[in-house]
Amino acid sequence: MDQAAGDIVLNVGSGSTDGMAPGEQGLPPMLLELDRVTKRYGNMEVLKDVSLHVRKGDIVGLLGDNGAGKSTTVNVISGVVQPDEGELRWMGQVKQLTDRRASAELGIETIFQNSALVDSMTIARNIFMGREMVGPMGFMRQREMREIASEVLKTIVAIEGIDSPDKLVGQLSGGQKQAVAIARAVHFNRTLLVLDEPTSALAVRATEALFDYLRHLRERGITSILVTHNLFDAYRICDRFVAMAHGQVVLQAKKGEVTVDDLVEVVSRGRLSSKEEREAAGVPAS
Amino acid sequence: MAQTLAPAPGGPLGFGARMGSMRRSPGFQYRLQQSAVDILAIFLILQVASIIFSLADPGTFAFTSTANLLVAFQTIPLLGVVAVGVGILMIAGEFDLSVGANYLFSSLMMAQIYQDYHIDIWLCAVIGLAIGTGIGFLNGLITLRLHIPSFITTLGTMGIWEAAALFFHGASSQVFTPPNSFMVLTNGSFGWMAGEMVWFVGICIAAWALLQRHALGNHIFAAGGGPQAAISSGVDVFRAKMIAFSLAGGLAALAGILAAANVGDVSPEVNSTIPLEAIAACVIGGAALTGGRGTVLGIFLGAILLYWIQDVLLLLSAPGFYLTAFVGALVIAAAVMYQYLQARRT
Ligand SMILES: Nc1ncnc2c1ncn2[C@@H]1O[C@H](COP(=O)(O)OP(=O)(O)OP(=O)(O)O)[C@@H](O)[C@H]1O
Ligand SMILES: [Mg+2]
Repeated sequence: MDQAAGDIVLNVGSGSTDGMAPGEQGLPPMLLELDRVTKRYGNMEVLKDVSLHVRKGDIVGLLGDNGAGKSTTVNVISGVVQPDEGELRWMGQVKQLTDRRASAELGIETIFQNSALVDSMTIARNIFMGREMVGPMGFMRQREMREIASEVLKTIVAIEGIDSPDKLVGQLSGGQKQAVAIARAVHFNRTLLVLDEPTSALAVRATEALFDYLRHLRERGITSILVTHNLFDAYRICDRFVAMAHGQVVLQAKKGEVTVDDLVEVVSRGRLSSKEEREAAGVPAS
Repeated sequence: MAQTLAPAPGGPLGFGARMGSMRRSPGFQYRLQQSAVDILAIFLILQVASIIFSLADPGTFAFTSTANLLVAFQTIPLLGVVAVGVGILMIAGEFDLSVGANYLFSSLMMAQIYQDYHIDIWLCAVIGLAIGTGIGFLNGLITLRLHIPSFITTLGTMGIWEAAALFFHGASSQVFTPPNSFMVLTNGSFGWMAGEMVWFVGICIAAWALLQRHALGNHIFAAGGGPQAAISSGVDVFRAKMIAFSLAGGLAALAGILAAANVGDVSPEVNSTIPLEAIAACVIGGAALTGGRGTVLGIFLGAILLYWIQDVLLLLSAPGFYLTAFVGALVIAAAVMYQYLQARRT
């Protein structure tokens, strides 16, 4: 429990999540844990002993430079790739996620910028894709689906420019698409949203709006993992940070325990400088 | 860019709350855009023009004569039924170039079994349909299990089933003399309305119900429009595509059977333009070659338009080779038109 005061884990070689047992006093329950996950492509270790945890209701920033292993971690969480070693726990139970559907069944929704929705289909059809409301003989309850879709658009998204559930998703902007994908996840009671680089294609206002939206979801108890290399964005919205470099988790910290400069440093150098190094550089130790 | 993602629960949407229920609502306009309204407009203009010319000069341009209409209504469905299957498969993101060979092989087998063994004709027809569906199913299995483009798979099976027709039957043509009850239900006519056309319209209605009203239709659109998104949303893309492949095969066989009844024999010679004309009808009707987009009404009108060109050229006694050129030009024009419309709307 040596890290109980903070939640900082530095340069964890074989970092396990000890001290993070579910039901720990005063903290929200544990939702997702990766425990020493290793993934190799050929003889290249893309993930090395990655351990991280996500508690219910948090917005967790998964940070790292290009090639750090963020997307691979997301793929493990969403069942797209299977780890070679280590395990994934969902609400304390070990799970083998064989494909994306397995993760979706748990309540994990992964939203990739461009592959969450089908452009050539309407918003309403997208919202119910794979989860159609059907009546006798598998025929769709079209009217009900349309009504619910417009309700979802009104209450969960409320975005300008989406004036009808009959609009094609291909006619929406990147931010609007993302909003629809998130709204769908919320409507179907997903517990964990994983957003891989959601802001990379968004302008300033759309990014702001997305963040407001994630905060709003947090109030409803929905947990998010935000994958990004924009550390300033992450710093503003996230409750916790998991920083990766070269396939390893190099920092886990709560907001308030680190500064944005710390994040920049840990992501770019793969570690935080020691007290001595900082003093040598004339930076006051925090 | 006026887009905001306001978190407001129950927040305002910037337009009347009763969306979708009003006639001129945005929803109505979007639905109109997604319908086959473009091709319908062109179609109606051409038909009205043809009818006017025909009434003005019935001697040389006998477009509205009963004989001309009956032949049209007997011939259009032979391509149209194939095109509906090919169109469903195109929406699912795959192609079937073996529909011509399938059309031949299934109907040839049906005719041969019927003539040689005198089994009940309806049973023979079911066998023919089963063969066609099986050919489609096999195309799907090879494509999806071995992960090769369906274009290649079906180019290969096209050759195989063409050869199989000659192998099982030989080069001579197969007579087909079904009992009257079968003829009436496939090939009967009432004035200018032909039995084939009734089948075609029925199949179009069934295909529309499948694509627009059935959950499987939603999966077919999703499988073709965005397979990754579909899989992650829990759509069984494999199943949706397998069903589309099988339908394309089954409908090709049905068209072959209708043709056999119409002609009275089956010549083991492949009409090699069938697959391309079927794809052309779909493209003219607004189906996207990239998958995920298309309407049954569009395919229906596309098939009629393809025939209409042949008919008009014939009535104007143009040489036969004009026809292929016109069909080619029409396909390109249609593709350009839809690309333009698409670019304007997205
Ligand atoms: N399918 C694969 N086969 C081989 N190597 C892979 C594969 N997927 C990822 N990698 C490698 O794994 C490393 C981590 O990739 P990953 O996509 O997880 O990085 P990332 O942190 O998401 O980077 P970015 O910010 O650029 O998206 C990279 O070096 C990449 O080349
Ligand atoms: Mg990435």
